[in-house]
Amino acid sequence: MRLKIIRIVIGGFFLMITIRLFYLQVIQGQHLLRLSVNNRIRVVPLEGWRGQIKDRNGKILADNRLSYDVMITPQEIQGGEAVFVFLSQILGTDRHTLVQIYNRKKVAAFAPVAIAEDIPKEKAIMIEENRDRFPSLFIQENYRRFYPLRENSAHVLGYIGKMSLAKREQFQEYGYSMHSVVGYSGVEEFYDDELRGGEGGLQVEVNSRAQQVRLLGFREPKKGKDITLTIDSEIQRDALELLADRIGTVIVMDMDNGEVLGLINSPAFDPNVFVGNRDSQEINRLFADPDAPLLNRAIKGLFPPGSIFKVVMAIAGLDTQKITVDTTFFCDGSYRLRQSIFRCAHTHGLQNLIEGLTHSCNVYFYNLGMFLGVDTISHYARLVGLIEKTGIDLPYEQRGIVLGREERRLKGAGGWHAGDTLNLSIGQGQTQVTPLQMVRLLAMVAHDGRVPQPHMIKAIGNTPVEKFSSPHKIKIAETVFATIRQGLRAAVADPSGTAHVVDFSDIFVAGKTGTAQTSGGKKTHAWFVGYAKGKNRNVAFCVLLEHGGSSYNACVLTRELLLRMKEKKIL
Amino acid sequence: MPRHLERQIWIYTAMIMGIGLIALYSAAFENVRVPHKIFYDQLIGVIVGLAVMYGMGRLDYRLFYDTAYILYILNVILLILVLVGGRNALGARRWIEIAGVSFQPSEITKLTVILMLARYFSRRRSMSHFDMMGKIEVIVREIIFPLFLSAISMVLIFKQPDLGTAILIFGIFMALLFAAGLRIQYIVSFLGVVIALVPLGWHFLKPYQKDRLLVFLNPNIDPLGAGYTVIQSKIAVGSGMIFGKGWFAGTQNQLNFLPERHTDFIFSVIGEEWGLVGALALLYCYFKLINSGLDIARHTKDKFGRLLAIGIVTILALQVIINIGMVIGLFPVVGLTLPMVSYGRTSFLMFTIMIGLFFSLSKHRMVF
Repeated sequence: MRLKIIRIVIGGFFLMITIRLFYLQVIQGQHLLRLSVNNRIRVVPLEGWRGQIKDRNGKILADNRLSYDVMITPQEIQGGEAVFVFLSQILGTDRHTLVQIYNRKKVAAFAPVAIAEDIPKEKAIMIEENRDRFPSLFIQENYRRFYPLRENSAHVLGYIGKMSLAKREQFQEYGYSMHSVVGYSGVEEFYDDELRGGEGGLQVEVNSRAQQVRLLGFREPKKGKDITLTIDSEIQRDALELLADRIGTVIVMDMDNGEVLGLINSPAFDPNVFVGNRDSQEINRLFADPDAPLLNRAIKGLFPPGSIFKVVMAIAGLDTQKITVDTTFFCDGSYRLRQSIFRCAHTHGLQNLIEGLTHSCNVYFYNLGMFLGVDTISHYARLVGLIEKTGIDLPYEQRGIVLGREERRLKGAGGWHAGDTLNLSIGQGQTQVTPLQMVRLLAMVAHDGRVPQPHMIKAIGNTPVEKFSSPHKIKIAETVFATIRQGLRAAVADPSGTAHVVDFSDIFVAGKTGTAQTSGGKKTHAWFVGYAKGKNRNVAFCVLLEHGGSSYNACVLTRELLLRMKEKKIL
Repeated sequence: MPRHLERQIWIYTAMIMGIGLIALYSAAFENVRVPHKIFYDQLIGVIVGLAVMYGMGRLDYRLFYDTAYILYILNVILLILVLVGGRNALGARRWIEIAGVSFQPSEITKLTVILMLARYFSRRRSMSHFDMMGKIEVIVREIIFPLFLSAISMVLIFKQPDLGTAILIFGIFMALLFAAGLRIQYIVSFLGVVIALVPLGWHFLKPYQKDRLLVFLNPNIDPLGAGYTVIQSKIAVGSGMIFGKGWFAGTQNQLNFLPERHTDFIFSVIGEEWGLVGALALLYCYFKLINSGLDIARHTKDKFGRLLAIGIVTILALQVIINIGMVIGLFPVVGLTLPMVSYGRTSFLMFTIMIGLFFSLSKHRMVF
C-alpha cells in the first residue's frame, strides 16, 4: 500500500518534469533557439568600492577615482577587424597590439574583454557616440586605486593589482574571482579582507544593436571598509625629505602603546605605477634597481646591529649578576686575544658600564663578552626577542638571526672560537636584526621590560582596533633597565657621549649609536636607535643609513627629525 | 524473485551510463574548460562500476545489516575529518584524501544513512506492544531518536556547506519513516511541526547564511553565479526542441555558456543536443529503473531488505527529480549530481554499489 503511494508520488514528479520539458522544448523552443543562436545575455561585472586608507589625522593615503575602460563583447563583433581599426584611431594604439590584447584576454563569447583601461573621459565619450556602428563596444566605469601622496607611505601601504594565478587558486574559496583586485604587500595586502568591496554585477539581455532590452539580474557591489592607520603622514614626509637620496630606514613608534607613527624607507616608490595601466617600464626599473626601492627595509631588511647590540650585552651582564654597574674594565684602545688584536675606537681608560655605553667602548664589551660566554649572550639575545618577528600587522616581516654556538654547528660552519665571541659582543659577525626589532628593544628598555606590540592599524571603519594595545612583560629583573637607561641617556647628554649631537634642552632623548661593519669593503651602516620624551608623546625611534658611514650621520638626521616633530607638536 | 527484474535493472542502468558517456564526450570535446581526460575517467568508472554491481550481487546483504551502525559511525567520523581537515587547507571542504585517494564522504553518507535507518526501523518488536506504547514513547522511539541519529550527519554535511545533500538525507529519513509503517497521523503532524519550525530557524541564521539561502531560493539575485547558470541552461534545453541539435552541435554547450556542464548541469547538454526525444529517453530509463527497484522492495519479505530497497529508490528518484528540476528551472539550484551521468567519481561509485544491492536483495533472502 505504502509502496504504491511512493510509486505514485515519484511518477507524479516525473510527469511534472515531462510537462516542463514539453513546455520548454516544444512551446518555447523556437524562442529559446533564437536566444541561443544569438546569445545576447551579457554579464557586466561591477567592482566594489575599495575602502580608503587614512593616516592618524584623517589624511587620505589611498583613495579611489573613477576610470573608463573600453570593453568588447566577443560574440557581437561584426565586420571583422573594423572595430579594432576604429579603436586604434581613437586611442592612438597600434591595431595589432589591440588584437593581441583581445586574443589574450578573451575567455568566452559572452564575457566582455577589457581592451583598454583608464582612458581619458573625452575618448570614452567618443567611443560611446559610435556604439551604433560598433555594437560590441561599450565603456565601463570602474573604480581605480589612487595614492595621492605617492611615495609618502609606499612601503606601509603596498599596492593593488589583478590577482595572479597563484593567488587565485589560493583565494578562490573565499569568493575572489579572476577579476578580483587584491592587495600586494603592505597594509593593502594585510587588511585586504577588510578593504576589499564585494563584487557585484549585472546580467542584461541586449538586442542586436547592443542596447539593453531588459535587466535579468543585478547584484549590488558592496563597499569595503575604510581603515585608519597609526601613521602620521607629516612624519613620513619629513623623514623621506631628510633621507633624501640616501638609502635607509626611519621608524618612529609611540613607545607607550606601540602605534607606529612613521615607517619610511628610502629609496621609496610610487605605488600608482602598479595600478591600472601598469607602467611596465617603471615597474621593471623598480625590480631591477640594485638599491631595491620595493624592499621594506624596516621590517624585511636584515642588518648587523653593531654597537646597538651592546644594550643586549648590558642586559645580560646585569641580569646574570656577573657584573654590577660599578664593575670596571680598562680600555687601552685594543683587546688582545693571543696573536690577534681587537680594536676600540679610542683609548677610553677605566670604564664602568654607564661609561662603556656612553662611549660605546668596544674593549669594555669584549671583556664582558668573555666574562659571559657565547651561550649566555645568545640566550639573552633570544630572550629580548631578536630571533622572533615583532608581529607587526604588515606582511612578510623577517625575523633576526643570532648565530650562537649551536646554530653554527648545525649550519656546519665549523666550531666556535673565542674571537667569535668578541665579534658577537659588539654586534658584528653573523648577527642580523631588522630595524623594527631595534625600535622594540629600545621601547622595552624604556619601559622596564614591558614590550609594546608595534602595529599600524588604528581603526577599521569607525571601530578602534584595540587588540594590540597591551604590552607583554619580559622575564628580566626591572632594576636592570634603570641602569641601562642611565647609560643610554649619558650617550646623548654627556658631552663625550657618542650621540651628544641629539641633545636638546626641552626633549629628553636617550639612545645608542651603532656603526656596523659590512662585508665586501663597503661603507659601514650608520645606526641610531633610542627614545625621546616630549610634551605630547613618548616615542621610540630608529634611524638606519645603509652604508651611511659613521653613526654620527644617523644622529644628525635624528636631530632634524625630532626638531621637526617638536615644531609640529607631535612630540 | 522474478529473473526479469534483474535483467531490467542491468539494461536500464547500462543505458543510463551510456547516455551519460555520450553527453560527457560532447561536453569535453575539444574544450579548454572541461578537459578531455574526464571522459576517459568516466569510462573507467563505468567499467569498474559494472564490475562492482556484479560483485555486490554476489554479496549477501545481511553483511550490511550487521555492519550498518558501524559503517554509519565511521562515516560520521569521516565527515568530522572533512570539517576539521578542510579548515586548515585552503581547498574545498567536501573532499578528503586517504591513502592518496580523494573522495567525498557526503556521497557515502547517502548509503550509510539508509543502512542505519533501515536497521533501526526493522528492529523486531511485537505489534501488540507497538499499540500499547504511549504516544510520547512512539514519538520518541519512532521519530525523535532516528531523526537525531540522521541529524548528526545532516548537520555535518550542512556545515560543509552542502545544502543539497543535507536536504536529500532529510528526504531519505521521511521516506523510510513513511515506509516503516508508522501511523499516518504521526507523520502528518511531524511534517507540520517541521514546516512550522522553518520560519523560526530563520532567526538563528547568521546574515551570510541568510544571504546564501536567499540566493538558493531566488537565483536571480546572484546573476553572475547560480542565476546565470539557470538562465543559460534553460535556453540550452529549450533550444534543443524536439529532436535536438545533434551530437557536438549544441551551441550553448560548445561555446562555454554553461558552467558545470559536465557535473551538475550535464542534463542541459543532453536536452540541447538530443532534444525532447533524448531527454525523455533518459527519463524513461530512470523511471524503469526506479520501478524495478520498487518491485524488488515489494518482493523482499524481510523489513530491513525492503527498507533498504526503498531507501535506494528514494535517493535515485530524489536526485533525478531535483537535478533535472534545477536544470530546467523547476527547483532552485543545489549541488546534486544526475545519478550515473554526471561526472564525479565518488557519486558514480556509490550509485553502482546501491544498484548492486538490488541484485543482492533479489538473490538472497534473510532467514530467521
